[in-house]
Amino acid sequence: MTAFDLVRANLGRNRLRTALTAGAVALATLLVCLLLTMPAGLDRLLARAASNTRLSVVNQAGLVYSLPYSLARRIRGLPGVADAMAVVWFGGSFEEAGRISFPSFAVEADRVGGVYPDYAIAENALNDFRRYRDGTLVGSATLEQYGWKIGQRITLRSNVWNVALDLRIVGEIPREGNPVVWVQREYLDQAMQAQGRGGLGTAGLIWVRAATPADVRPVLEAIDDLTRRTDSPTTAQTETNFYASFLGSLEGLLDVLLAVTLLVAVCIVFIAANTASLSIRERAAEIALLKALGFGRARLFALLLAETLVLAVLAGFAGVALAFSVSTVLQETAGRVPQLGPLGGFRVDAGVVLQGLALAVGVGVVAGVVPAWGAARRSVADALREVF
Amino acid sequence: MQARAARACGRLDAVDPATLRAMGGVHGIGPRSQRCRRSAMQSREAVVSPSQPLISLRHVARSYRRGPSEVHALDGTTLQIEAGRFVAIMGPSGSGKSTLLNLISGIDRPTRGEVVVGGLRLDHLSEDALARWRARHVGLVFQFFNLMPVLSARENVELPLLLFRLSRGERRERAELALRIAGLEDRMEHKPGALSGGEQQRVAVARALVTDPDLIVADEPTGDLDAGGAEVVLSLLRSLRQEMGKTVVMVTHDPRAMRFVDQVFHIDKGRLLHGEEAARAGRALESALGIRVPTQPRGADPTPTREGA
Repeated sequence: MTAFDLVRANLGRNRLRTALTAGAVALATLLVCLLLTMPAGLDRLLARAASNTRLSVVNQAGLVYSLPYSLARRIRGLPGVADAMAVVWFGGSFEEAGRISFPSFAVEADRVGGVYPDYAIAENALNDFRRYRDGTLVGSATLEQYGWKIGQRITLRSNVWNVALDLRIVGEIPREGNPVVWVQREYLDQAMQAQGRGGLGTAGLIWVRAATPADVRPVLEAIDDLTRRTDSPTTAQTETNFYASFLGSLEGLLDVLLAVTLLVAVCIVFIAANTASLSIRERAAEIALLKALGFGRARLFALLLAETLVLAVLAGFAGVALAFSVSTVLQETAGRVPQLGPLGGFRVDAGVVLQGLALAVGVGVVAGVVPAWGAARRSVADALREVF
Repeated sequence: MQARAARACGRLDAVDPATLRAMGGVHGIGPRSQRCRRSAMQSREAVVSPSQPLISLRHVARSYRRGPSEVHALDGTTLQIEAGRFVAIMGPSGSGKSTLLNLISGIDRPTRGEVVVGGLRLDHLSEDALARWRARHVGLVFQFFNLMPVLSARENVELPLLLFRLSRGERRERAELALRIAGLEDRMEHKPGALSGGEQQRVAVARALVTDPDLIVADEPTGDLDAGGAEVVLSLLRSLRQEMGKTVVMVTHDPRAMRFVDQVFHIDKGRLLHGEEAARAGRALESALGIRVPTQPRGADPTPTREGA
């Protein structure tokens, strides 16, 4: 038998209590690990999604306010602009699959290639998208998820514009994990006119591509100058900043979540400390015996602390393993389930593993140190008198 | 010289298990010479001349604070116990027996007076130094066995060996040897819950024995046992004294113990009884129990006595 065998035997004394305490520590580690993956995940998402020459133009009052459709044409006339495309939120849902929604937009078909050259959409797909009014370009992830094929017809009902569009899939947007569906703006416009509701006339946002990276700043200033004295002044920014502002609000939420999770970790410390105290109190006679046998204060302290430490470290490993599994599943699933959004970008890397384990060790030490020291520092005579 | 003496006397920390096994005798360990009994504890911390007792208490007092009042558990006790004796301390409840035992075994320190064991002043040692001393020199047996329920008998016996620099194999070997001495070779892997009270106490004796201490201190070792179990444990304790030269100091109320011990000390109201007082207490006990109570040492030579065997 070794001292570790003794620690292990004591941990196995009340298996349910040990398992519940380990579960609490593992859960705290899991939560903290998942949250720690998020800032890096958001950065990765941003780096993957954004182009250094693409710019967004939205209403200065906010994204929910529209812009005049004609602004896209005027922007195209500015120097340094390679192309610009008006976009409106279509909000399509696929009723055959039980009203499944995915990010879908009505876009200007003949501008897609000019604004998104980095998306590597096949030339014939772009041509067909331009040629067929009912054509639609579908993200590779959505194609894969529903088993759709090029040439297949689908019907999407817009939750925003209250129209159902019968669409023909003419091509794929070959971006890894991209669930986006694009329909022709003109088709949506005509469908609404057919219902006697007038045309679209507006854009939710306008995507602009600067001709070169050097043109980005002058173009941004020119766009805002163009709209400064109109009814719809704009905020033009790079695509990176656009997504970052979206994610910025998410990061605020992450900070709150992280604070809550740290509070949870503190609660777990108290729970673990309470468990350690109970366990030590229940074994007062055995601890008195160990003292009588000659176990000094330092050795006894180390033995008792080792119990909570071993428990916390094992639970920490379990929590990290769980976090790794969850993030792996999210990565594999996010491409097929658009509702998961950016969660697929959150990865448990070595840094997160180390931080998670450090948290578990911290919980073990903080939870164990007070009860262990309290038991170890009592004199052997007092301890024996109390229990025998 | 001291190392040689220790080796010759089979000190556990100086001799390999094979040597211990080779000693023969009771369940495997045989008698050691008188010189060995004397020198076992003297070999390290202090030197005691052959005429000096192993345990010497002089004017020892111990008082506790219990709430607002002070309890005088021991008051001016003077006592000497020679090495290789099996000694019983008797007295009514609350008379200070266990306090006396705690002082002898270095578990407690006196409020005043001096406690010398093996030539070493225990009352001068710190708590940690006393812990180290106990680990090397004292084996403890309690009334309620105090075995760890999550460990097997062998693992319980190995516990004190965790304080020594021994390999896992050496610890195991020594624990098995001690359990064989206690007659539990076929119960080594049983948890305490699967053992009878007598067997559990024998495991506790094996645990007290496993570090090969000079002094074994037992606090009511038969107090929780039936008659059969008590006889076995008392026989075992006596064999430790007879065959291995251990000094055994036992607090007991058990009249059966009188047949096994070399000498009985009587204590009452924190005072050790001497002379006529002790003789009177012995006679009272003899008439009550109908057995002979050895208030004086059974002979100067503490070699085995077969009385009551």
